[in-house]
Amino acid sequence: MSPPDSAKGPATWTAVTILLLAAIAASLWVPIYARTTPKLGAFPFFYWYQLILVPAVAIVSWIAYLLLRPRPGGQPPGDGSGQARAGEEARR
Amino acid sequence: MTHVNAVTLTIVIILFLLVTVIGFAAARWRRAEDLLHLNEWGLGGRRFGSFVTWFLLGGDLYTAYTFIAVPALVFASGAIGFFALSYTVMVFPIVFVFAPRLWSVAKVHNYVTPADFVRGRYGSRGLSLAVAVTGILATMPYIALQLVGIEAVLTVMGLGGSSSNEFVKDLPLLIAFVILAAYTFVSGLRAPALIAFVKDTLIYVMVIVAIAYIPARLGGWSHIFAAAGAHLAKVNPVTGKPFGSLIATPASEWAYATLALGSALALFMYPHAVTGVYAARRRGVIRRNMAVLPAYSLVLGLIALLGYMALASPGVVAGVVAGGKNAQLSVPLLFQQMFPSWFAGIAFSAVVIGALVPAAIMSIAAANLFTRNIWVDFIKPGASQAEQTRVSQTVSLIVKAGALVFVFVLPKTFSINFQLLGGIWILQTFPAIVIGLYTRWFHRWALILGWAAAMAYGTIRAYQVPVAGQPNSHFGGSTAPVFGHTAVYIALSALILNLLVAAVFTLVFRALRAPDGADETAPAHYTADPAPAPAPAVAAVAAAGDPEARG
Repeated sequence: MSPPDSAKGPATWTAVTILLLAAIAASLWVPIYARTTPKLGAFPFFYWYQLILVPAVAIVSWIAYLLLRPRPGGQPPGDGSGQARAGEEARR
Repeated sequence: MTHVNAVTLTIVIILFLLVTVIGFAAARWRRAEDLLHLNEWGLGGRRFGSFVTWFLLGGDLYTAYTFIAVPALVFASGAIGFFALSYTVMVFPIVFVFAPRLWSVAKVHNYVTPADFVRGRYGSRGLSLAVAVTGILATMPYIALQLVGIEAVLTVMGLGGSSSNEFVKDLPLLIAFVILAAYTFVSGLRAPALIAFVKDTLIYVMVIVAIAYIPARLGGWSHIFAAAGAHLAKVNPVTGKPFGSLIATPASEWAYATLALGSALALFMYPHAVTGVYAARRRGVIRRNMAVLPAYSLVLGLIALLGYMALASPGVVAGVVAGGKNAQLSVPLLFQQMFPSWFAGIAFSAVVIGALVPAAIMSIAAANLFTRNIWVDFIKPGASQAEQTRVSQTVSLIVKAGALVFVFVLPKTFSINFQLLGGIWILQTFPAIVIGLYTRWFHRWALILGWAAAMAYGTIRAYQVPVAGQPNSHFGGSTAPVFGHTAVYIALSALILNLLVAAVFTLVFRALRAPDGADETAPAHYTADPAPAPAPAVAAVAAAGDPEARG
């Protein structure tokens, strides 16, 4: 059984790294959103930007998850679970 | 405020009884043959799928205290309080990276606590002890603050806050905690996992209704932002400066960013968060959850806005002033004044139950740390799994009793200051845990020295921060200037010191050829899902009660 993570190529890892770093930078870099305008309805930019960032980062994380997920064709979904179950039973 | 509303009280009592029944019944949920195994009591059998894990982690990380304290900070200081939203946005991409590795290695070696991993990785009981003690110290005040959250609600409900008799005043809180302690003792992690469903449902309902209903009653969002902005711009007579601002000021941008980043890095160092990760069934459960947990962040952002609604509501502002300028009363007061009494009951229950779930998980996590990394490692090596479970159960009671003492005996500011320190302290376990997941470059003794230096620096620095407008006072906040310039989160500056000290002494110890401890982990263990070949053997030996098997 090859571990799912290391089975991924460097391109996938680069893409995931960029996605996650962008997600973190978007809230770490305060000066880009510490302002009042443009407003969305009554909401100053500072507030609506941060609130919209929440679902945006969730989507980015989900894409990262999909990129790192073991290929459905490459590895059967129950891969390794037989051993796991044996382990769990042995533990009990 | 002294008047007790019968409808509100009845609803809170009914919902409290409901979760009590669920808490005891949880012992039978996905019942294991042997509840007296620490994997069962302390980690729910490590069998939680994506759905349960989502509720468990959400219920665990977004505590009642958060729901009271974040809007209270927004109420008192404005934009800076929103760092909490920024922090919960950042935390999941960060945890996405390392939590699967931690889960895998813990699954392979049957680790129950973060300190278990550190011991196995570095072969150092001392470093593991440092991590365990830090975890316990940081968790204790966190549990106490859950009680402070409940107390704020009870005060507004007219229970306790006004009574002159100390015992009567504390009785509701005491009863709630004794019941919580009883079902945590019986059901272990299964109790909070199951109650989390009720807690989170109530929280979501509360927030959606609050956001849809309250602004309309207060004259719309424009009015709320305008009124809040006007309030924050007023000059505070104590400090001679405005109370706060609606937008983060250039001077506070560094504080904002470092508070968010430092808190995000620290969150999954807390033992109760690690417990939630370890309890997952599969590796994929962790990553999938990091993508769906932000739903709670959205809730937190909306809850933070309640602070502005409270500012825009003259009745709440007057109530906070009448309650001794206690900003923590702002959200409970807002609910009481805006909602019909039956819905106020539901909202209050959401906060009370929201305190019980994390308090239970925190006490389990702290108890496991004591059992595995202090009791077994230093007092009774070779203790069987059943003995370990018994000790953990007992310690979980002691931890909760300790939290009660905190809240009843010591002034409330003590818990808050201690929790502030806890956040600074817990981040100092980051190098041993997270960097340890990737490399063993740091020497184990150097990590201990880095930790000790950062703990001392962080504690002293936090002690030195005066409360605004009161020179020579202490624990006035969690940010302090570095090199006399920009104020940054002390936890983060302490972490940098920690890493520097650890790096320098690693070179020194290598030059002196100080012995490296044995590493029981192998690279494949960090990506295992759920467990490669050695696992059944390890598990089988562990079942026989051999402590060496768990590392």
